[in-house]
Amino acid sequence: MLRKADSNFGFAIGAALVFFFIGGTLTTVVPPLIDKTWAKPFENNDPTKGPTGKLKPYTEIELKGREIYVREGCWYCHTQQTRTLLADTKRSGWKGVDSPISTPDEFVYDAPHMFGTKRTGPDLSRVGGKYDSQWHKTHFRNPRDLVPGSVMPPFPWIADDPEELKAMTAYLQSLGRSKNWRPDNDYEK
Amino acid sequence: MPEETSNLAARRAAAGDSTAVVHADTTAKWFLISSIAYFFIVGIIAVTIAAKFVWPSLLGSVQYLTYGRLRPLHVNGMLFGWLLAADMGLTFFMIPRLCGVKLWSEKLGVATAALWNVIILSAVVCLLLGINQGLEYAELPLALDVLVVIAWIMFGANIFMTVASRKYDQMYVSIWYIMGTILWTAFVYLTGNFAVLFATGTNQANLNWMYVHNAVGLIFTPVGLAIAYYFIQKSSNMPLHSHKLSMIGFWALAFVYVWTGAHHMLHGPISQWLQTIAIAFSVMLLIPVWAVVYNFFATMKGQWHQLKDNVPLKFLMSGVVFYLLTCFQGPMHSLRSVNAIVSKTDWIPGHAHMAVLGAFSFFAIAGTYYMIPRVYKTRLFSDALGNWSFWMLMMGGLGFFVTLWLGGFWQGWQWNNPAIPFIDTVVALKPVWIVRFFSGILMFVGIVLFAYNIMATILGAKDRPEAAAA
Repeated sequence: MLRKADSNFGFAIGAALVFFFIGGTLTTVVPPLIDKTWAKPFENNDPTKGPTGKLKPYTEIELKGREIYVREGCWYCHTQQTRTLLADTKRSGWKGVDSPISTPDEFVYDAPHMFGTKRTGPDLSRVGGKYDSQWHKTHFRNPRDLVPGSVMPPFPWIADDPEELKAMTAYLQSLGRSKNWRPDNDYEK
Repeated sequence: MPEETSNLAARRAAAGDSTAVVHADTTAKWFLISSIAYFFIVGIIAVTIAAKFVWPSLLGSVQYLTYGRLRPLHVNGMLFGWLLAADMGLTFFMIPRLCGVKLWSEKLGVATAALWNVIILSAVVCLLLGINQGLEYAELPLALDVLVVIAWIMFGANIFMTVASRKYDQMYVSIWYIMGTILWTAFVYLTGNFAVLFATGTNQANLNWMYVHNAVGLIFTPVGLAIAYYFIQKSSNMPLHSHKLSMIGFWALAFVYVWTGAHHMLHGPISQWLQTIAIAFSVMLLIPVWAVVYNFFATMKGQWHQLKDNVPLKFLMSGVVFYLLTCFQGPMHSLRSVNAIVSKTDWIPGHAHMAVLGAFSFFAIAGTYYMIPRVYKTRLFSDALGNWSFWMLMMGGLGFFVTLWLGGFWQGWQWNNPAIPFIDTVVALKPVWIVRFFSGILMFVGIVLFAYNIMATILGAKDRPEAAAA
């Protein structure tokens, strides 16, 4: 049947599009209609069902920090997803507490999404509250002052701009906080 | 009947430019020359970001040259400034010859090339300023996306009108692949750059990965294979082994590729069943890949000696081997167990560079080496230099791929042992990044030799008229 596409211009175009659209539609348009967690913000009040908490929209200053994160391409080296791998929940964890895995309902307000593909630096999905703002300031000025061996570039233009630094830190401190996952509530500010 | 058709198509493809039609090729020349210029310029950016892994504070106080701004410039510059532009240039060369008619409109073609250069130069400015949409491969601001769509419509209209007015009834494989590229790219690009803006979170990521994956799978793969199908025959003077296999390869690609986007989020925050679908279709990709690769190898049966002194053929057949390897890695990465080790590691850039440089850029370089002397009615400036460019790109490429695979695999194992602090897994990779930097320099030398050879061929065209039987 497809041999017709050898010499029939219209048939070749039509068949190429039909073949493409079957998979194209089923994998892009249909999934969010089936899995409602993609669009429903996280909320849980029942501790027996896992960490409690509620996903809130970003504040203005957090959004500003997020814009800097996008502008500087932080997302080329830092992922924001604690995957369904034991090692990920340990690495995203803190002071002996394992992190919960990332779920779609935690990212409903993320546009652009910052899941990332490459981990040159550590994952940041649960970094909120791990380090205080003075740490972040020093780290942005020169990462190697705090983490010898790091290959992160210095960002003096952020560290030296109080507004940008404040926004950036506010954004980072918000990451992964919709789930209250640390029992001692020992989050840094 | 099938074999008859196959040989007919083959003879026609092989006899393409012996017809009486005189091709102007202005558009093809414009696209190729500008793309080679970007190949060189973006090559400098590439070596710079490789150097930043070795000396992390390099250019560290200049915000316009920080890693996070140079990396998207490297990726977009190589993909759209070099590779896609070169592929379009070669398409403007192939299509009129395969159809036995002149290009529908040289004027429209030259306008397309000019618009494309405006887009790329604007992209350089935007990305250095940090104007970035935050979505991979879709970094460019909306205004430039609109220009890309306009340029693509201009390109598509020109090619489709040429094909519609073709002299030969039967369309050679390369024509299907190019038509497929134009149509699929239109929808893939609209999804990745426009539809994506109306979604958030996981939904947006799913559209983004559909685009990223198919930017390679349904843009660079089909146009790259169109180039390989055309130039392997032309350079080796051999008919294509099997028409039927080429059909299996094409239609399987058309059906299977688009399903696989979610394999970029395996183990991530996206529905498990969608991950499983993506895995199943990723493994099925072996069918179109092996059909195509077998066809190329069988075409070369008994003819491998030609590789000894045929520069385009060297690039083409090494490209085919890299294509086979990269498309074997892809399905394997999609398996959950393998993915748990290699995903997000340095293995992935090793894999991605083998596809874009090792396979598709090698095809484009081969096409350029074949086309430029013919459209300028001359001979290649230097075959020896052509060989050197091949070996530099080959050795540099292998050094890059292999060290990143080894390093990435090792890194993945370390990550899976939470007792190892993350920073130790960074420090462990430093030797790998040093080798990658020096491999990058070798690759860059290869690019320079290639660009110089082509430039010298064009500039000296008048002094070296083509041999009688070119």
